[in-house]
Amino acid sequence: MQKKKLPALLLSVAMLGALATACGSNNNNNGGSSDASPSASSPPASSPAASPSSSEPASPSASASDEKVTIKIYYPTADKPELRAIEDAKIKRFEAKYPNVTVVPDDWQYNVNEIGPKMAANEAPTFFNTFATEAKMLVEKGWAADITDLWNNYEHKDDINPVLQNQFNLDGKVYGVTQNGYVSEVVINKKMLADKGVAMPSYDWTWDDLYNIAKQVADPKKGIAGIAPMAKAGDGGWNWTNFLFEAGGEIQTVADGKVTAAFNSDAGVKALDFYKKLRWDANAVPQDWALDWGGATGAFAQGRAAMVIAGADGPLQQALQAGISPQDLAVYPMPAVQAGGKHTGVLGGNYLVINPNATKAEQQAAFNYIVFDYYSDDALASLEKSIQDLKTKGQYYVPPHMDYYKPDSEYGKKVQDLLAKYDNAFKYDPSEAALLDGKPEAQYNTQDYYSTMTNVIQEVFSKKNSDSKAVLDKAAADMQSKFYDNIKVQ
Amino acid sequence: MEHTAVSTAGPPAATGRSKPSKWKKYRSGYLFLLPATVLFILFLWVPIVKGIVFSFENVDFVKGNTFVGLDNFRTVFQDPEIGVSVKNTLYYMGLCLVIGFWVPILFAVIISEIRRFQGFVRIAAYLPNVIPLVVLYGLWRWIYDPVGPINAALQWLGLGQVLFMTDTHWSMASLVIMETWQQFGSAMLIYLAAVLSVPKDWYEAAEIDGAGIWARIRHITLPSIRNLIGLLFILQLIATSQGYQSQLAMLDGGPMNATMTYGLKIVKYAFTQQNYGVASAMGVLMFIVLGFLAVIQFRMNNREDR
Repeated sequence: MQKKKLPALLLSVAMLGALATACGSNNNNNGGSSDASPSASSPPASSPAASPSSSEPASPSASASDEKVTIKIYYPTADKPELRAIEDAKIKRFEAKYPNVTVVPDDWQYNVNEIGPKMAANEAPTFFNTFATEAKMLVEKGWAADITDLWNNYEHKDDINPVLQNQFNLDGKVYGVTQNGYVSEVVINKKMLADKGVAMPSYDWTWDDLYNIAKQVADPKKGIAGIAPMAKAGDGGWNWTNFLFEAGGEIQTVADGKVTAAFNSDAGVKALDFYKKLRWDANAVPQDWALDWGGATGAFAQGRAAMVIAGADGPLQQALQAGISPQDLAVYPMPAVQAGGKHTGVLGGNYLVINPNATKAEQQAAFNYIVFDYYSDDALASLEKSIQDLKTKGQYYVPPHMDYYKPDSEYGKKVQDLLAKYDNAFKYDPSEAALLDGKPEAQYNTQDYYSTMTNVIQEVFSKKNSDSKAVLDKAAADMQSKFYDNIKVQ
Repeated sequence: MEHTAVSTAGPPAATGRSKPSKWKKYRSGYLFLLPATVLFILFLWVPIVKGIVFSFENVDFVKGNTFVGLDNFRTVFQDPEIGVSVKNTLYYMGLCLVIGFWVPILFAVIISEIRRFQGFVRIAAYLPNVIPLVVLYGLWRWIYDPVGPINAALQWLGLGQVLFMTDTHWSMASLVIMETWQQFGSAMLIYLAAVLSVPKDWYEAAEIDGAGIWARIRHITLPSIRNLIGLLFILQLIATSQGYQSQLAMLDGGPMNATMTYGLKIVKYAFTQQNYGVASAMGVLMFIVLGFLAVIQFRMNNREDR
């Protein structure tokens, strides 16, 4: 009997040990591989590469140190094989150049609802993607590393597209690196218009043009919408804000240290009334209109909506993947309220932010990785190979409409020359691009505003006789009391 | 066992020849309990206690938490959307009872009466349970589509179109129908086990006395599983009062907050607004309400055991 006690005791101890190990596993972003990074757990200050003001060469392409580090990188999801192929090639080249760095892909995509738990659990990758709206929140929460020193040592810092980069420069400090950006545009299925005998408008089009096209193309009995404005989650408010901006409105005003809701202005009423017209007069929106970005762009790709509003590359990619010919797709600026007016759209962008929990050595490696392909001929060669690979598979490459480099820079021209060589690379029309007027998103509680506005849009889509001014006033009062009144602008 | 306990106690300690202490007597048993106890403490009791503490704090994972007294609870009671979410949750719980509660009982009784292919029918009824949620939501989006199969059937019958997702009168009911379809199988198996454990001779005696199927169900089957029905009723109330998954995935609480449940509102406060203090306060309030239901369930369970 005494003999039976020992295994029982050992089993208990083993289970406790396993439990303690599971609970206490370090989350220092080493991808769980302690072998890979034996020195990563040492205090950052003890690392020779820890100090950003070290006397290492300024260029990020120069090796920061020989310290072995593992970085978890932002990686495309499995439904984007073309982007994964480009990233895989980059990882290979990066690891060849920095043999001390192990790169672990992590396909977690930034999500407003997930970033809190990710950071609290120390599970966020070494760097992750985010949007322009998130800068203020991430910085205030302490979830974005201050990379000013790394930035200042970066040789191409003055060549980066300032319109995009400025959105992540706060109070003289740099908290993120721009990847690419967009001004909201309207992507149109030309074939659906042609099938209904509707002529394509000029790029300098108006709200009336959009309304008439949507109305004529819509066929509710067949489940076909003229346009699919988003109306779910925060995406609804984000989509509608384009119309608010075109009508000359603002989301919020900042004065005397206070933030005040401004979207219930006359411009807001005008924009909301336009949505009501599309829904109730033209019957041109999807009948199951509670669609988020994926739902709306999905409806467009399936040929169930003739128009969709977004940064153009996303819906284009989906539509091309779904088999729509590039000849049947057109990208238009947001329509102006009246002829000759501005084609204002929300200016947004994708940014890469470094995890402040990463060690200095990991932050340096992450920064090196982020800018590794920026302005490099290797990147061009890799892009060309990817486009060729896609061509053999009958797939398309859709470049972002705005990129990290200045469009008129030498590098920008090189990229355009490369894309011009391939018919499977989507090309934007420069005359359309010239009309784009990007307006940055608001910085305070923008996601909360988007969600609040989605509720308003759902109300006007549900109730034919809703009073636009009244619902906007109520939403503005809600935003003011719940969020804006708590902000003290420094 | 007695022999084992004595023999494992080892030689008498300094206390002389007195009985071995309880700890020594049951040491192996306690050690076996230890992992489960640690797991419970770490993953159940610590989060519960932390949740209660958080409800009195402004939670900031970086700068540290600050005590705010009852502010979080004040916010909860002042937010009109929380009142809406409570109403929606009660409506959802009611719909789940009206639409879904009787379905597994009905299927269990029907399947118990089937003489051939009972195994096949049992598996077929359980199959929706194993469908991944992503597939489920995609499938039902198609079923509920304005030009999908249900609406096509309605049109064929000359009835009007139903906008299952965007009509506020239908949206919650549509989710309940979808969930019922997916989840009734597991409750059905529990009921079926109970129905099949009713002694066969009761039915035979009833049949000899001329009882038909309905009389057998009414006077033998249902009374036999009465306690189980009561227990699963309470469990369903507890489960549905916390529901938010399909509301979040299918409609994100819309249209116009028509599917914004209390559980989803907690998720929104915690993960969209990053206000973990208010979310914890909401959780504490829910914990109190559910605690009462849990006590009832516990008592019923005990009665069942007796």
